[in-house]
Amino acid sequence: MATTTPTTINRPRTQGARPIRWRAVAGQIWEVFWALLTLFFVIFPIFMLVYTSFRQPLDVYSDRFFSPLTLENFRTIFFGEFAVVREFFTSLFIASVTVAIGIPFAVMAAYVFSRYRFRGAQTLLVAVLTTQFIPALMIALPFYNLFRDTGIYDTPWALIIVYLSLALPYSIWMMRGFIDSLPIEIEEAAVVDGCNEYQVLVYVTFPLVLPGIITSLVFSFILCWNEFTYALLLAGQDTITLQIAMTRTIGIQGISWELISAIGMLVMIPMFVLSFTIRKYFIEGLTMGAVK
Amino acid sequence: MQSPRRHGLARYVLLAPALILVFATTVYPMANAFWLSFQQWQLTKSKAPVGFVGLDNYLRAFDDRFFINSVVVTVEYTVLSVVLTLVLGLGMAVTLQKRSFINTIIRTFLIFPFAVSPALKGYSFRFMLQPDYGIIQLTLGRLFPPLADMVWLSDPWWAMFWISISEVWGWAPLYALMFIGAMGSIPTDVFDAAKVDGANNWQMFWRVTLPMIKPVIIIATLLKIIGSLRIFDQVVTMTGGGPGRATQSINYYIYQTGFRFTNMGYSAALAYLFLVVLAVLAYMYIARLYRQEN
Repeated sequence: MATTTPTTINRPRTQGARPIRWRAVAGQIWEVFWALLTLFFVIFPIFMLVYTSFRQPLDVYSDRFFSPLTLENFRTIFFGEFAVVREFFTSLFIASVTVAIGIPFAVMAAYVFSRYRFRGAQTLLVAVLTTQFIPALMIALPFYNLFRDTGIYDTPWALIIVYLSLALPYSIWMMRGFIDSLPIEIEEAAVVDGCNEYQVLVYVTFPLVLPGIITSLVFSFILCWNEFTYALLLAGQDTITLQIAMTRTIGIQGISWELISAIGMLVMIPMFVLSFTIRKYFIEGLTMGAVK
Repeated sequence: MQSPRRHGLARYVLLAPALILVFATTVYPMANAFWLSFQQWQLTKSKAPVGFVGLDNYLRAFDDRFFINSVVVTVEYTVLSVVLTLVLGLGMAVTLQKRSFINTIIRTFLIFPFAVSPALKGYSFRFMLQPDYGIIQLTLGRLFPPLADMVWLSDPWWAMFWISISEVWGWAPLYALMFIGAMGSIPTDVFDAAKVDGANNWQMFWRVTLPMIKPVIIIATLLKIIGSLRIFDQVVTMTGGGPGRATQSINYYIYQTGFRFTNMGYSAALAYLFLVVLAVLAYMYIARLYRQEN
């Protein structure tokens, strides 16, 4: 009796559930299939760069997919004839100096736009934002002539000046959004306690908007690091950045894909790490806060 | 927001460095380019502009079939890459929208293409499209034997198509993230109500999800159009504008005119014509930014 009762109760239930369950399993497999296909689409080009950077030139130029791995390409780009160590530090220097100057200035300006009411503030902010949409070539052309005339051409400062025009408007807008979302009462309390305006900014607002500052900083850094157009037009032999270094691996035998991939690793990996740190604010950063 | 005891000086001190930098780096070149656009100046022939030519540089653009070609190429490219980015972005969003262990992991990977620089995107796809050893070329050749001898980047249409794909690869995942975020904020009772009314999944997507995330789609589209119109990096690293002039975008043509053929005046005039179009789109975008805020 004890064994038959459960089966009689269970049978109709399992019979009823079985076809539905199969359907659910099929649906789930279908969903996972699409999810994995998406992953494949996103990862594959990156995987190919990573893989190619560890392959021997002979294997790269063959139609065989599997081949032994080697560190030879990395030796070439660090110590060999295509060493890009100098270019790496040029990129690092330019991007670092740009954010080191740009972010504090942007925070200061954003603070004013957020906390002070004065005539023309709105217009001024729109003007700052609009500068972002000026075509790069329009800026590059006059600066090319100016930099040639003044001797700034082919120094890191040429690119730093132009990159500031990219990083500043973006960071000002982003930081303003972050400061806006901060309750003003905290600052008022600090004023009551005897802080002046500069002290409020440095000791109260600044620490509170640190996540915003880090987000703007990372986005601006990536912007400068990955920038190609100005680097191509406004930098000479002494200021080749990593992006431009990739174009230099094209020798008499054509393009060295394994070297481009190895340099590509140097270009990508630090940016992977950086963008991972701000993944929480990623969408906001991408759309300048239009989508949250 | 008005806070106590603001004396006037602080705001100027705080604003000045940023504003001086922003306007010096944009107003100066804009003014200079504006002046240049009315000058006849071939850099290889003379060190300074040789004379005022009025609107000649502007009028010339409308007769320049290479410039018109670049406009057509850029518009085609923009339509293709914007549509594909949106469709693929939406597709990925729908795929990964449901909360599950595997989806959460895959979503993290979606930000990776952002870290890949445009120039590197170009090289990466150019490599994969190479005849004889490029992985895309080999795979497509095996799947569809008639395509085995195809040299993708030597075909005018396909060259442009693949530049778009390199761009779509970089942006569709980011747009998917945006759409997933927007879909997540739709209240669930809207879906429940639709279900009660007997809507199937397909109807729910078209009639509920899409209209609800429309504002996000519009902003994303505007941003993508502005970005796509300015395509330059991948043209340099993938095709160099070729085959022939098939992938010469507006930016690339301005670059050639100014930096390769050193025709500074004409190049500046072309840049200004381009600016007019971008300004309209930028205005629409900024207006949306403000509307979103309030």
